[in-house]
Order: sequence, then structure tokens, then C-alpha cells
Amino acid sequence: MENILDDYAQQNALRETGTWAKLLLGGGAIAAALVSAGPLAPAFIAASMAAITVGIARIPARFYATLLTIPLSFAVLSAGVILFLSGGGETVWSMPFGGITLAFTTGSVNQAALVLSRTFAGMCALFFIALTTPMVEIFTVLRSLRLPPEFVDLAMLIYHFIFVLIGEALATRNAQEIRQGYAGFGNAVRSFSMLAGTLFVRAWEKGEELILAMDARCYDGIFPTFGGERGISRREGVAVVAYLSVCSALALLSGGIQIF
Amino acid sequence: MTAAIEFQDVHFAYPDRPESLKGIDITIGRGSKVALVGPNGAGKTTLLLMCNGMLRPTKGRVLVSGRPVAYDTRSLREVRKSVGLVFQNSDAQIFAPTVWQDVAFGPANLGMPQETVKKVVADALHYVGLSGYEKRPPHHLSGGEKKRVAIAGVLAMDPEVLVFDEPTSSLDPATSEEVMDLLDEMNHGGRTILLSTHDVELAYRWADEVVLMEDGAVLRTGTPEEIFADRTVLARARLKPPAVLDLFRELRDRGVLTDTAPPKNALAFTDLVERRIRGGVRRNGHGTICLRDVAGPDGTAALACLLGGSAKVWVGAMGTRAKKVARDEGIAVDFTYGVIDKCLLRAVNGEDSLILTSGGMIAHTVERIDEYARTSGREIVVRQV
Repeated sequence: MENILDDYAQQNALRETGTWAKLLLGGGAIAAALVSAGPLAPAFIAASMAAITVGIARIPARFYATLLTIPLSFAVLSAGVILFLSGGGETVWSMPFGGITLAFTTGSVNQAALVLSRTFAGMCALFFIALTTPMVEIFTVLRSLRLPPEFVDLAMLIYHFIFVLIGEALATRNAQEIRQGYAGFGNAVRSFSMLAGTLFVRAWEKGEELILAMDARCYDGIFPTFGGERGISRREGVAVVAYLSVCSALALLSGGIQIF
Repeated sequence: MTAAIEFQDVHFAYPDRPESLKGIDITIGRGSKVALVGPNGAGKTTLLLMCNGMLRPTKGRVLVSGRPVAYDTRSLREVRKSVGLVFQNSDAQIFAPTVWQDVAFGPANLGMPQETVKKVVADALHYVGLSGYEKRPPHHLSGGEKKRVAIAGVLAMDPEVLVFDEPTSSLDPATSEEVMDLLDEMNHGGRTILLSTHDVELAYRWADEVVLMEDGAVLRTGTPEEIFADRTVLARARLKPPAVLDLFRELRDRGVLTDTAPPKNALAFTDLVERRIRGGVRRNGHGTICLRDVAGPDGTAALACLLGGSAKVWVGAMGTRAKKVARDEGIAVDFTYGVIDKCLLRAVNGEDSLILTSGGMIAHTVERIDEYARTSGREIVVRQV
């Protein structure tokens, strides 16, 4: 089985910490990063969130870094575009390039830095939630938020079937691989289309099996969830409030601090 | 007494296909252990799916506890509550994101209040030896653990009859034996067990009654000894005789053994051979079998004294509770399945052993050992510690 996000969420050192506390911490940090007008607070949030995820929740640093590079490569690209396309303020640097002049200004530098740091902070906070809170716990929270049961039940079944289908896909892929299914571009395209087709049929079959399995146990519209989800403990509450206070104070006070 | 399940001239055909069941007449007695044996495609699974109304016969009828199964929603709920079905593929049976939710699915849908659900789920998980697994997602479990979750999910609905489709396929031998022990334990608790298999060794050893199926029809029903001694029907059903029986027959054909009743297991077989060679069995000089109720009063000191001696004492743990206690107390266990027979074999060789078990299994163990002592003429001391 592939080691994916949820597996880390199942095993991390903050597994037993209350779900609400973790969701509030991550969500609050995202809000603080969005409120901030300057790049300093988001940068602090990104750094501290990464430190908590790797240092306290004990997510392997190498895995975490790999995970971050995916969204950050996009963020860096967009920051680059903003740098050259937006304007305002004085020109800091310019260079004639063919018929046009490439330049960036103090305004564009500030704007790019803000976008980059906000993205960074948002991703770090989101990964904190994703890597410390198993989906299963989030379902319980969704239930207690009184979301429609149809929505939550469906989400739980979809969640379960992700793993079933990953298993099927891997098995089919291995079966193709041992017979040179992915040797050469043509083969790979053919094999992949067959894989998709097989997976569709398998998903259908699994669905029918599911109906049988639910019927066999007298399905009557009830999908049980853990009842005993606890609220926030005093210690967790203090930690979350302290961290979020620092973040929002920084966001409100450091808004004026810009690169230029 | 009414039968647990009765099939009366049951026919079945999937739409636009030839008949896959061609008139089945079987009666499953209450409290019995019945094995459906037959080659692939004999219709075993189809028949099992009829036990709780998952499939409806095209002709004939199925009776559960003496009442014909009706196929409206309300009646089906009743039937499915009293007949639990465990699928061959545990992955097809387990669909909730956590073990707890999966086991709680049946009880919750039967309308039990939340507190009762919590209790029956805890009991069922404890029974199959999976306490502490509540929050685990099923895709993190091993094959044997998934099977146990599937069994717990059905057990939590407290059915009188448990139906298993190929319970040991895709499990390793030791896990298979442990699952079969679990089935035995449930049977001693008074539940009727019906299973399908093509593992002849399992059916021969385990079942009270064997139903041999081939091509949608019943070839023969009878005790395991009768069925597996009939070479003609075995060949027709594409099965082979169990190894013990095969050896016994070859030895008898050579004139080495003259007995008529075939032995059921290694213990009975070795006794036959010993009698033949020595002209009888040794009456005494056998090892002692100690029996400990793990649910009883604390016996840590007695156990330490017993196991601390210089002579090797074999330890067997029977039932999930005993296995858990052994694990918690750091007792090294030699036998985790077929415990009584293995300890009797050791005792016959003059070695001592200790059986850890609990509840109704204690009386069953004593009874089984006494019965062996009586029929074999050996003196075997059982001591409860």
C-alpha cells in the first residue's frame, strides 16, 4: 500500500490531541495569514506551522519538504508573474528584453512577497491539519456540525472506496507492468486507457458488493459514527489561544512592514 | 425441535442463465456444525446467499427456524437478524472507515440505542480479540484481522445461525486454524454454524455433518467419515480424501491396520498404529495436563511455579481471551490452535502441558480429555490450577 497523507495522519504524534483544537489552530492560522497586509506575519505562520508539523507531530522532514514543493512551485511561478506584471511605486530594476522592457517596482516586489508568504502560510497550515487529523475524525466533526447525514455518509463511503480503488489500480498496474505494459509511449497510453476502463468496471462491481454487504446487515439508513468525540481540553485551549493571539497580533501590527 | 435452516426443493437460476441450483433438500440442525463441500461452481455460495434471503429461490422454499422466509423488507430484517452471513472476501464486507463503525453498523441499523450499540460492539470486538482496534481504518489491517472484523460485525447482531462462505480461503494456516477455533467457540456458545469450503482437511476434522455438492445438486450428506470414505463421490466432486484418511486406508489395504473405523486426527491415528505395533497402549506414565481458567482468581504465583520448573511444560492458549491474557502476562505460548489434541499428544509422550482458557471452554476441555482417556484406555491426569 502506498504511504499517503492519511497514513501519516493515523500515526503522527498529535493523533490523540482533540480534533477541534487542531482544526481551530490550522483554520485560525489561515485566517490570520489572510488578514495580514504585510508578509511578516504569514512568513511567521508558515515557519511555525512547519515547525509544529515536523517537530511536534513528528512528520518526517523529507516527506514534508517533498509535499510542500508541489504547491510552492506553483506559488513561486505566480509570484514571478506578479513581480513583472503588477506595478506601482518606483522602478527597482529594469532590463530591455527584445522589443520590450522587463522591470519590477517597489509595489510589485511587495505584492509578490505578500502573495508568496500567504500561499506558504496557507499551505503549511492546511498540511498541519491534513497530516495530524485523520479523515475519520473530521467526519465526526462534520456530524456534530449537523451537516446533512446524506452528505457525511456519502463522504465516509467515498473515503473508504478511495483505498479500495487505489488497491485495485495498483494491482492492475502491476499486472500490466510485468507484461511490458508501460514499455514505450504507445504501450503506456494503451495500458493506461485499459487501466481506466478496468477500474470503472471494478468500481461498479464494488458498488454492487457494497449494497449486498449493507443489506446483509439490515441497512436502514443509519451509518454510525463514534459518539464520544471530546471537546477541547484546557491545555489545548490555552495553547491554541496563545498561538493564534501571537499570529493575529503580528498580522495586525506588522501590516506596515514591507520590503520597500 | 425445529431445524435452524431447511431447504426444500430449492431451485435457482440467475436471469437468462442455466439453473445453478437444481433442487436442494437439506436440513441444518440447531446447534450443529455443517460444512458444504464441493468444487468451484458447485453452487455453494449461491445456496449460502439464500440462508438470509439475499437471493430468492426461483422454485422451492427456505425455512429459517421452521418459518418460510418471506421477501418483504420487514421479514427480511428479521431473517437477517437471526442468520448472520460472513462473505468470502472480507474487503467486500467491511465498508466503514473505522473498525468500530463497521461493527456498529448492524446494531445501529437494528435500532439499538447508542449505549447498547457501544456495549455490543465492545463485546463483539473483545470476543474476536480485537479490543483496542476501534479507531483503526480497515485498510491498515491484515487479512486475518479483517476476517475477525467481519465476524465481529455479524456477531454484534447476535444471530442464532452463522453462515460463512469459505472462511479460511486467503488466510495463512495458523490464522485459519485460529479462525476455526473461534467458530468452535461460537458453536459451544450455542450457535449453529454453516460454512462452505473446499478444504477437505478442515471439513473432515471440524464438521458434524458434511453436505457434498456438485453441479447445483447435493451428491451426498452424512458424517465426515462416511462422506470422505466414499471414493466414488469424492472423485465426482473433484475432491481428494484428507491425508489422515488416505494413510489409514493405504495401511489397511496393506494389512497393517485391521480397524474399520477411520481415525479423525493425528492423535487417533498414532494410537491406532501404537496399538497395532505394541498390541495395546501404555496405560500410565503419561504427562499431566493442567487447566487454568484465565477469568478465574489470580493464579500468577501458581503459574510461575508451574512454568518455572526445569522440565519443559508446553503451553496452549484456547480462545481469544486466553490468548490475550497470555500476551499481557508474557507467557510464551506453544499452541494457539488444536490445543486439546496437541496437549493430549504431548501427555501421551509423557510430557506436561498447561491449557489456558476460560468460560464454557473449561468444561468442554475436561469432557474432551475424559472422553479420550475413556476410549483409549489411558490414564491422563487433568489438574485445574
